[in-house]
Amino acid sequence: MVTELTPNTEPKMRARDVSVFYGDKKAVDSVSIDIHTDYVTAFIGPSGCGKSTFLRSFNRMNDTIGAARVEGCIELDGEDIYKSGMDVVQLRARVGMVFQKPNPFPKSIYENIAYGPRIHGFAQGKAELDEIVERSLRRAGLWEEVKDRLSDSGTALSGGQQQRLCIARAIAVEPEVILMDEPASALDPIATAKIEELIDELRGRYAIIIVTHSMQQAARVSQRTAFFHLGHLVEYGETSQIFTTPREQRTQDYITGRYG
Amino acid sequence: MNELSAPSPAFGEEPAIALTRTPAFEARLKRRYAAEKRFRFFGLAAIVFSLAVLLFLLVTMTMNGIGGFQRATLTVPIRFSQAEITLPPETDSLGVAIRSLEDQGLPEFIEAETARSLGEEASRQLSPDAWRVVAEQLIDEPSMLRREVELDLPTSKNLSAALAGDGHADLQPLARSLAEQGVLAKRFDPGFLSRSDATDSQLAGIWGALKGSILTMLVTLALAFPIGVLAALYLEEYAPRNRWTDLIEVSINNLAAVPSIIFGLLGLAVFLWLFPNLRSAPLIGGMTLALMTMPVIVISGRNAVKAVPPSIRAGAMALGASPIQVVFHHVLPLALPGILTGTIIGMARALGETAPLLMIGMRAFVATPPDGFTDPATVLPVQIFLWSDEIDRGFVERTSAAIIVLLLFLLVMNGIAIYLRNRFEKTW
Repeated sequence: MVTELTPNTEPKMRARDVSVFYGDKKAVDSVSIDIHTDYVTAFIGPSGCGKSTFLRSFNRMNDTIGAARVEGCIELDGEDIYKSGMDVVQLRARVGMVFQKPNPFPKSIYENIAYGPRIHGFAQGKAELDEIVERSLRRAGLWEEVKDRLSDSGTALSGGQQQRLCIARAIAVEPEVILMDEPASALDPIATAKIEELIDELRGRYAIIIVTHSMQQAARVSQRTAFFHLGHLVEYGETSQIFTTPREQRTQDYITGRYG
Repeated sequence: MNELSAPSPAFGEEPAIALTRTPAFEARLKRRYAAEKRFRFFGLAAIVFSLAVLLFLLVTMTMNGIGGFQRATLTVPIRFSQAEITLPPETDSLGVAIRSLEDQGLPEFIEAETARSLGEEASRQLSPDAWRVVAEQLIDEPSMLRREVELDLPTSKNLSAALAGDGHADLQPLARSLAEQGVLAKRFDPGFLSRSDATDSQLAGIWGALKGSILTMLVTLALAFPIGVLAALYLEEYAPRNRWTDLIEVSINNLAAVPSIIFGLLGLAVFLWLFPNLRSAPLIGGMTLALMTMPVIVISGRNAVKAVPPSIRAGAMALGASPIQVVFHHVLPLALPGILTGTIIGMARALGETAPLLMIGMRAFVATPPDGFTDPATVLPVQIFLWSDEIDRGFVERTSAAIIVLLLFLLVMNGIAIYLRNRFEKTW
């Protein structure tokens, strides 16, 4: 099922009939969806509905799980990312990811940000690298809080700061798409609000997909929402429409709290 | 929520007092506390017992070993001005210089001087190598040649035994009288740390074996550490899980449990067959011990690599790090403390190993310290084993002293490893 919206640009990423298997178990069942840079897309649905698994197939992180297998086709700018000869390292540099639990490297704050640009050789010399680090931290809204202690360990920050550090780390590689897998689920409400603010500021610059448990969060940060249930994409549309006038009964039941 | 806060009907009638306040409950509570106290007492007792054993070991070792760092010496005044000796030119090597002094009659002169001050009988009980001590000091300090100096010269092993109250009965009166004059005594012997093995316990030193151990350990570390770490990383990060890798895993675990003498036989059969000229060499010894140490490093290395949180790997991979970058930038640095712990254990075991080295000929009598990895050498534990076999009583103390040297070496080696481990330790 392809839900046609009215995009004013070509989609950044396009998934067609994507199914993901863990061994014999089908976790995602032929899902098709378009992702645009202009807006934030939220994946919602009850636990185990396959939304995280589906998200991880956008940067081929499922490859790292031996038993996982992806069928169908996902395109980035019209190019199939699962075709043979696709460079996974390059793909992951173009499609960044932020995880559920903040996972800064046990290195300094500076090194956390500089790592990506350094392995890809983006910076010529220290000055340029400093600039990238500052720009990424500013964009992630963390610069003012950490500028005086860039050499402190990234793991010494608070949970919310760590997550923003991870977002800054992803931004530093200048990706085109950022995947966020429940980025605020381990954080308190104030830190969550900061992350949501940040996502809103990043909108338009990067195509953002956010998986979330919280329907309120989806309503707050996203412009498009996809509702998953038991591996199926039940409904995909404008966030305001999904939350006010869902077309499907199952969506209606979920957002009104009848299950989930 | 109700089921939790009130006792469920399955417990019978609503009790008059809450279940947690009955006498039976309080008695049970007391028993639980008693069990805890008992456990803490036994734990503490175990630790006290181990400390006591360790203390006993260290104290007896030190008491016995201190004598090993000393030797019996005679204090002899020597009038070099009376000697017709000229020093060889400074450009001569030590060996040539000493030989030149020997040719000029230094040994006879020293004996005569001893006979003059302490009597004919005492002069016969000088160590046959006593003049070497004088020669070395002369070369060190040529100005002595114009003065009269008092030198401490090693005695024969018989006089040394007599001083300790055993050995030949006819020497004991002489020893007593010399000791009463204050010229015969056991004095600290710095040469113990710089000489090598000798047939005379008065002249034996530990440097040859210590250097042999250092060279052997260097070879072992240089081989076992990189091979072990690479094997551990490959097995954990790259190898597919299948029957072959299971087989390899079982083999490595078994290898770690193989008795060490088997590795000695392997070294004898393979390494000495390949390099027949390197019998007794630290290179072969190190290779043999590396075989033994490697499985320990592989096993601890795999566990350390396994303990690195997957989230760190995922984070690096999501930034576009290639698999090898993930391994060398993130996994290895985080696993290093654990790998080093395994290396300490493996190296400590290798340092104390005797049996496999006996098989490859490192038990030979080696009187000169090895100059390199391919020279014949012996190692500390083998030296201890050889000395403990000697009949000469002087070697008993030398053996204890050698054990102290071995323990200190172990302490230094582990200290370095623990320092490195703490430097790399990171929290996440």
